[in-house]
Amino acid sequence: MEMTGRRVAVVGMAGVFPTCTGLEDFSDKLFSNKSLIREWDVAKAYGKQVRSIVSGFVTEAEMNLEAIYSEILPSYPEVYIDHLERIPNINLATADLGSIWAMLASREAIDMAGWTEKETQSEATGVIIASGGGANEIVRSAWHGFFQLGMKTRISGAHTVDRSMFYREAANVSCFIKNKGICESIGSACATGLGNIGHAYRMIKFGLQDRVVTGGVEATALESFLGFDGMYILSRGFPAAESSRPFDLNRNGFVCSFGAGIVCLEEYEMAKARGANILGVIDNYFNNSDGDGDMFYPGFDGQKRLWKGLLGTSGFVPDVVKVHGTSTPIGDPVELMSTVDCLGTSNYHVSAPKSQFGHMLGAAGSVEFVASLLMLREQKVLPCLNSITLNPELESFQKSENWEGPQEPLAAFRDLLPEQTFEKEINSVVCLNYGFGGTNSSILVSKDNS
Amino acid sequence: MERQEIIDGLIEILRTIRTVDQTKLVNVTEETDFLTDLTTPSTELINIAAKAEQKFGVEFEDDDIDELGSKVKDVVDLVLRAKERGKV
Repeated sequence: MEMTGRRVAVVGMAGVFPTCTGLEDFSDKLFSNKSLIREWDVAKAYGKQVRSIVSGFVTEAEMNLEAIYSEILPSYPEVYIDHLERIPNINLATADLGSIWAMLASREAIDMAGWTEKETQSEATGVIIASGGGANEIVRSAWHGFFQLGMKTRISGAHTVDRSMFYREAANVSCFIKNKGICESIGSACATGLGNIGHAYRMIKFGLQDRVVTGGVEATALESFLGFDGMYILSRGFPAAESSRPFDLNRNGFVCSFGAGIVCLEEYEMAKARGANILGVIDNYFNNSDGDGDMFYPGFDGQKRLWKGLLGTSGFVPDVVKVHGTSTPIGDPVELMSTVDCLGTSNYHVSAPKSQFGHMLGAAGSVEFVASLLMLREQKVLPCLNSITLNPELESFQKSENWEGPQEPLAAFRDLLPEQTFEKEINSVVCLNYGFGGTNSSILVSKDNS
Repeated sequence: MERQEIIDGLIEILRTIRTVDQTKLVNVTEETDFLTDLTTPSTELINIAAKAEQKFGVEFEDDDIDELGSKVKDVVDLVLRAKERGKV
C-alpha cells in the first residue's frame, strides 16, 4: 500500500573523498575520468600476509587530523586532533576518525544548505548516519592492552565505548550540531550509505522531520580491508588505477576504499520558500530482500522486484542508472541483467563510480549518491572506467535452465556502458546499492526543473 | 606423500566444516567436485585451503588458490606441488 507524502529536496552535500581536497576537487577528478585508487602502503607493509594492496584510502594527514597516542598504552589513540581547529575539543574527545569525518562533512553540508542555527537545533531536524565497520584502530589496541598486556580497564576506559559503538557517527554529529529531533543509524552492510538517506527521506516524506543530515561513513581501517582480503574477494594483479573494473571480462574483485558522503535533506516546499538551492528532488526510495537464503550473492529476482518497487509499472526510464557495480565476477552481470530486464536496452546509460574510487562499504551508497547529484549538476554521465572487454559469451548463470533473464551476453550492452565521461541532458538518476544478507536498495533522484 | 593419504586428510577436514553435507562424504574420489557433489558453499573453499595448509604442513601461493579448480584432484595436485616447492 503506497502512501503519498511530502516531497523531499536535497539542499546540501559534502564528504571525504580519497586524494581529494574537497567536493569540488572530487567533482573535477571524477569528470576527468581519473581514478582515486592508489597502492596502500599500510597493506603493503604486511607483505605475504595480504593478497591485495590497492585502496581508495584517506590518511589522517590528508584530512589535517592527527592521532595522539597514549603514553601508557602506546598503540592506543588517546584522541584525534584537528590541525585546522574546525571541531571543538569536547567533540573530538568522543570521536573516532569516522565520526570526525562525519562532523566535518555535516558542517559543510549544513553551510551549503544555509540552515540557521534555530533550524539546525530544532526538534524537526534529525541526524541519520551510519558506517559499516567498527572503529578498529581504537578497539584493536584497547583489547590488546587488556588481554595481552594485562592492563586494567581504566587504561582505555574513558572513550573506548563512545568511539567504537555502532551509531557513533550519528551520536557525534548530533552532539556537534545540537539537533533535537531524531538521532539514529541504519545498518545494511554495503547498502548502508543509501539506506540512511532512504530512511531520512521517509522521515521527511511522512512528516516526522522537516530536515535531516544523513549519509554513510567508512573511515580508513586496516581490519575492514583485511576481512575482505581473507574472503578472496578483493581485486588483485592490476595497477592501482586499473584495479576497479566493473563489467570488464578480467575483473577479479572489488577495491576496498574509504570515505564519507553526507547530504542535507529538507521538505521541498520549505526549501523552495526560503530560496534554497535545490541540488535534487528525491522522488522515491525502495528497499527489499532477495529472500533466497544466500548471504553473499546478489539475486536477479530480488533486483527485478526492487525495480518494480521503485518505479512501479509506469514504464519510466531514468536518464542514468548509477549501479552498485563492485567489479566482482557475479555481481556485475546480475545487476546489468536485472537493469536491462526492467528498462530495456536504450534511452539510458549506466554509470559505475566504483570504477573510479572503489567500494567504500558503509559510505558507498552515500558517496555515490553525491556523485549522482554532481551528474545532475554538471549534466555529464560518469563512466564505467576500465570496462575495456565485455564478455562475448553468456555468463554461466545465463545458461542454467532456471534463467528467465536476458539471453544476450554482456558484450551486447556496450552502448549502455560508457568508458569515459560524456555530456548528456540528465533529468533523473536511479541509484542502486546492495549488501550482504541480500538487502537491495534504490533511490530515484531528479533535477528540480521548476 | 601418497594421493590417497591426501584425500583421506581432506575428508577429515570436510568433517569439521558444518555446512558441508556430511552424508555425501562416502565414496569421495579424485573426480568428486566440492561444489556440485559435496554441496560445499563456495565461500568455504578458502577455509578448506587454510586447513589443508595446516594439516599437510605446506604453504600455498595466492596465485595457485586463485586458479584452483573445485575437484578433489585439484586440491591434491596443489598440496603435492606445495610439498615439492617446500623441499627446494
